[in-house]
Amino acid sequence: MSAPNILSFRGVTVAYGRTRRGQPALEDVTVDIPCGSLTAILGPNGAGKSTLLRAALGWLPLARGEIRIGDAHPEHALPRLAYLPQRHVIDWDFPIDVRSVVEQGRYRSLRPWQRLGAADHGIVDRALAELDLGAVAGRQIRRLSGGQQQRVFLARAIAQGADIFLLDEPFAGLDLFAVEELTHILRSWEAQGRTVLAAVHGLDLARRVFARGVLLATQLVAAGPLDAILTEANIDRAFRRAQCVHATADGTPVPR
Amino acid sequence: MSLHAFLVAPFAYGFMQRAAISAALLGLSGGLLGCILMLRRLALMGDALSHSLLPGIAVAWLWFGPSTPALFAGALIAGLLTALGSTLISRLTRVKEDAAFGALFIVFFGAGVAILSRLPTRLNLEHFLFGNILGVSVGDLRLAAAAGGATLAVFLLFRRSILLETFDPLFHRAIGGQGGLVHFGVLALTVLNLVAALQTMGVVLALGLFLLPAVSAYLWCDRFGSLLAASVAVALGCSAGGILLSYHAGIASGAAIVLCLGAVFLGSLVFSPSHGAAARLLEYLRGRRSVRHSP
Repeated sequence: MSAPNILSFRGVTVAYGRTRRGQPALEDVTVDIPCGSLTAILGPNGAGKSTLLRAALGWLPLARGEIRIGDAHPEHALPRLAYLPQRHVIDWDFPIDVRSVVEQGRYRSLRPWQRLGAADHGIVDRALAELDLGAVAGRQIRRLSGGQQQRVFLARAIAQGADIFLLDEPFAGLDLFAVEELTHILRSWEAQGRTVLAAVHGLDLARRVFARGVLLATQLVAAGPLDAILTEANIDRAFRRAQCVHATADGTPVPR
Repeated sequence: MSLHAFLVAPFAYGFMQRAAISAALLGLSGGLLGCILMLRRLALMGDALSHSLLPGIAVAWLWFGPSTPALFAGALIAGLLTALGSTLISRLTRVKEDAAFGALFIVFFGAGVAILSRLPTRLNLEHFLFGNILGVSVGDLRLAAAAGGATLAVFLLFRRSILLETFDPLFHRAIGGQGGLVHFGVLALTVLNLVAALQTMGVVLALGLFLLPAVSAYLWCDRFGSLLAASVAVALGCSAGGILLSYHAGIASGAAIVLCLGAVFLGSLVFSPSHGAAARLLEYLRGRRSVRHSP
């Protein structure tokens, strides 16, 4: 038997106004993400990987189609979702320490005049402990290793109390050691029944970390277990649609 | 001269008291807002906003003559239009925020100069630019109190939204925050405080209170709360120091405050233990020596 679906996209079409000559960023994408799965969104640049994540967060108006989270419309399911921004959008010189970033995970539940309560501090403590950040909780975020910096934002996502994690290129800019560390964390999340949907750039990397994949090229090319969908024909289809490159079976794009 | 005669006696005069209170109020909001503008890389936006006030003042002068409330209302409207216009342009089109501000303020400033050139009496541009803090009226003080109070209230009530919108706007949006509203609120408060600073410091020197305390504090602080507190402390301290300097040395008050702020900024640049030039230079020299001595 298969796990129930926690996220489902039905005929989702997203168009960014007139800027791209009316060509949609996502076209008629229908795909289901099973509960507790580790799923990579794959495809060439401009395939709509980030767009799919942003649509799931309810940030983009859908030209057609529908997205359901559990049984709810995204607007009503926001507390279940945690979003991890790309590394380069963060100003690492910002005067803020690790603990204060993780505390942001609790902000949604607070009225403007309220302070963080004992329960909130407990949740923050546990998130810091789970990601092994207790010893550096008071450090400014520039004074961390790349892997630690990534873990700060994972801890913030945990502190939100979410069960669905949307990660935008989480492996970009990490060194080898940090990649291993993040892989290990994502696998343990899978074991705990957390659902992860991540935009991932390299096919090799995706194969090593993720069990399932969604291969996009504006339209859906294939979805399912990675071994089954990463066939030479599918990869060729996905990357040929980008029209300027073509890829070998191991995922290396080759200029035509 | 005794310490009492130096520090306390000048404030026996009513105009000195009003000057000190008005500088403190504007320093409070300038210190707070400056931090946000600096962290969002909009530090030069105050400059743009201040120039964009001119057509509002000119039109108000044209219609209502030299009436202070009308001039302030005109400046406020012109500034808010610039802030709103730039926010909309950057969110709706391809043009980025700095370019939107630059484009709008130049057009506004041009329009202001054009209208002024048609006026029979010459508006005192120098006063607009440099102000006169020792001539603060009770009405000016009320305006400064309103601007400072509004700023402090917004920062106390919406401190978390302001922090998130500055640090990570996408996350702010993902947890249901009203990013656009918070951003425009900060810009609107900036305009309000610049307008309130017109009479006392003049727009150009008021920018000092919006930039120098924040940048100085940024060199010392690694936490958001302490950055805001240190920035306000620098602004308040330099306001008081500058007014005393202007009283004793007989120099223009706004310029004296900016010079005090400049001294603190320069000192911070050199002597900040973790981010200052001296510490970085020492670190570099030590590193070079250890390289030379290694086998």
